Amino acid sequence: MADTTAAKGGRKVSKKALAKSFRNWYYGNLTCFSQEHMQTFGYLVSMLPIVEDLYDKKEDQQKALTTYSAFFNTEPQIGSMIVGVTVGLEEARANGEAIDDETINGIRAGLMGPLAGIGDSLIVGTLIPILLGIAMGLSEGGSPLGAIFYIVVWNLLAYFGMRLAYYRGYDLGGAAVEALVGPNATALRDAIVMVGTMVIGAVCATWVSISTSLQLPGGGTLQGTLDGIYPKLLPLGFTILCWWLMTKKKVSPIVTMLILLVIAFVGAAVGFFGAATIAAPTA
Amino acid sequence: MVINVFQAALLGLFACLASMPGLGGTSIGNYTLGRPLVAGLIVGLILGDMTLGIIVGMAIQVVYIALVTPGGTVSADVRAACYIGIPLAMMAVKAQGLDPNSADAAALATTLGATCGTLGAILFYGTATINLAWQGMGWKWLEKGDTHKLYLVDMVLPWISHIVCSFIPTFVIVYFGQDMVSFIMNSLPMDGLPMKTLFALGSLLPCVGIAILLKQVIAKPTDFLTFFFGFTLAAVMGCNLIAASAIACFFALINFQISTLKNRPVVAAASGELTAADDEEEEDI
Repeated sequence: MADTTAAKGGRKVSKKALAKSFRNWYYGNLTCFSQEHMQTFGYLVSMLPIVEDLYDKKEDQQKALTTYSAFFNTEPQIGSMIVGVTVGLEEARANGEAIDDETINGIRAGLMGPLAGIGDSLIVGTLIPILLGIAMGLSEGGSPLGAIFYIVVWNLLAYFGMRLAYYRGYDLGGAAVEALVGPNATALRDAIVMVGTMVIGAVCATWVSISTSLQLPGGGTLQGTLDGIYPKLLPLGFTILCWWLMTKKKVSPIVTMLILLVIAFVGAAVGFFGAATIAAPTA
Repeated sequence: MVINVFQAALLGLFACLASMPGLGGTSIGNYTLGRPLVAGLIVGLILGDMTLGIIVGMAIQVVYIALVTPGGTVSADVRAACYIGIPLAMMAVKAQGLDPNSADAAALATTLGATCGTLGAILFYGTATINLAWQGMGWKWLEKGDTHKLYLVDMVLPWISHIVCSFIPTFVIVYFGQDMVSFIMNSLPMDGLPMKTLFALGSLLPCVGIAILLKQVIAKPTDFLTFFFGFTLAAVMGCNLIAASAIACFFALINFQISTLKNRPVVAAASGELTAADDEEEEDI
């Protein structure tokens, strides 16, 4: 990969253009989404300030910008690093380094998959659920505290995290990404996913409340018997059932919901599920 | 509770900002305004009953705790779950005269929210399809060298897609649907089979949200132990989520230290880069 850290003596992207480019990505990465070109236009507008800064002639700007019209899609928060990396590459190209469209698009296409995987599992699949789990605890009973906590903490993390990723991508080029997939980074990622998995377990026990109103023939309730075996056994059982359907049987979430509808209907008809007020504790 | 034109229009505006390819941007729009918990606060404020809004939002939030859209395929639409589902669920809870803090209210809200979210997926595909037209114009402008018009394509013209697919559906359903919700709710007896099914379904649906999340993080059977440990912390030992997170972080720290010990020789070889990685990752936590 080409050395992107510094332009040798020649042109350097101004601070103002970098800030504008980052802002455009931060806001506009998905605003014009289509199935065909997911984040392509978000990418184009974030490269626009850069090419205007680096090239004086209109034709050169247009030619450079056309490079970024190839399909692009990744997890947009962590993906800001890729934008940063290409800004570095574009700067090197403006200074006469032999970097062609294929090189840039090859790097872009090579990075978007792995970073989408990291971003989806770490940010969308772990960080946001943890924050939401804590926020729901704070909002119990209808307090706005949890919602406010989530709004503030998430947005600070997202903005400064994306900013850091963008500038690190620009400063370090490919090395920034290599650092994200190195052995220690992988260990850290596993540890974070571990926190996420435990918190999901706690969320399941706290926020899912399924109970049965079935009376046992010999007196007592089925719920009482189940609680004796393990508390919250029904939420756990139904969660594992859904997981099994979606993972092992490849059933889509919508079909899984329809299966639950059938279970709910049959359960209500035979008296397994009663009026929730009688049996279930307040969520 | 009656929703007036102005309130319905505000809900429509928030629907434009919050949807998946939303005009609030990804971080502020989709991941903040499009989370049912946050939307509960906003809808509650708009409709003048914040407490009920948050309770309803929270019930729907569990179903959508991990809404990942890999490769742009969606099974649910956040704008519909949040800005159509929450107002309708609030109306329904009021119409049934349920105690907002009851499990019945939560179950009813969950069912209505998830139904709106699922049917709302059509709005997502509608928005994305109309955006194709602006993108088509964008390619022409790029070819001609009208590069500044790309801003128009990315940030201005999609408003038209959202007026069609977010504002109008939200406004119409919330404004004209409110009487229907009240009517349906009033005609269904609380102890009848339809309502019982609705309540039961509402209590079951959060399992789907949790299972979607599990599907992502469980790579091998032993990962279930980690999940089960967290479950036990809350179910048996009575930890709340903050306490459970703290304990989870402690175990993750131990796990991380063991893993890095295994990586020690590699660390020595490329310590500079890896320190950078650690800084970066910590910012993301």
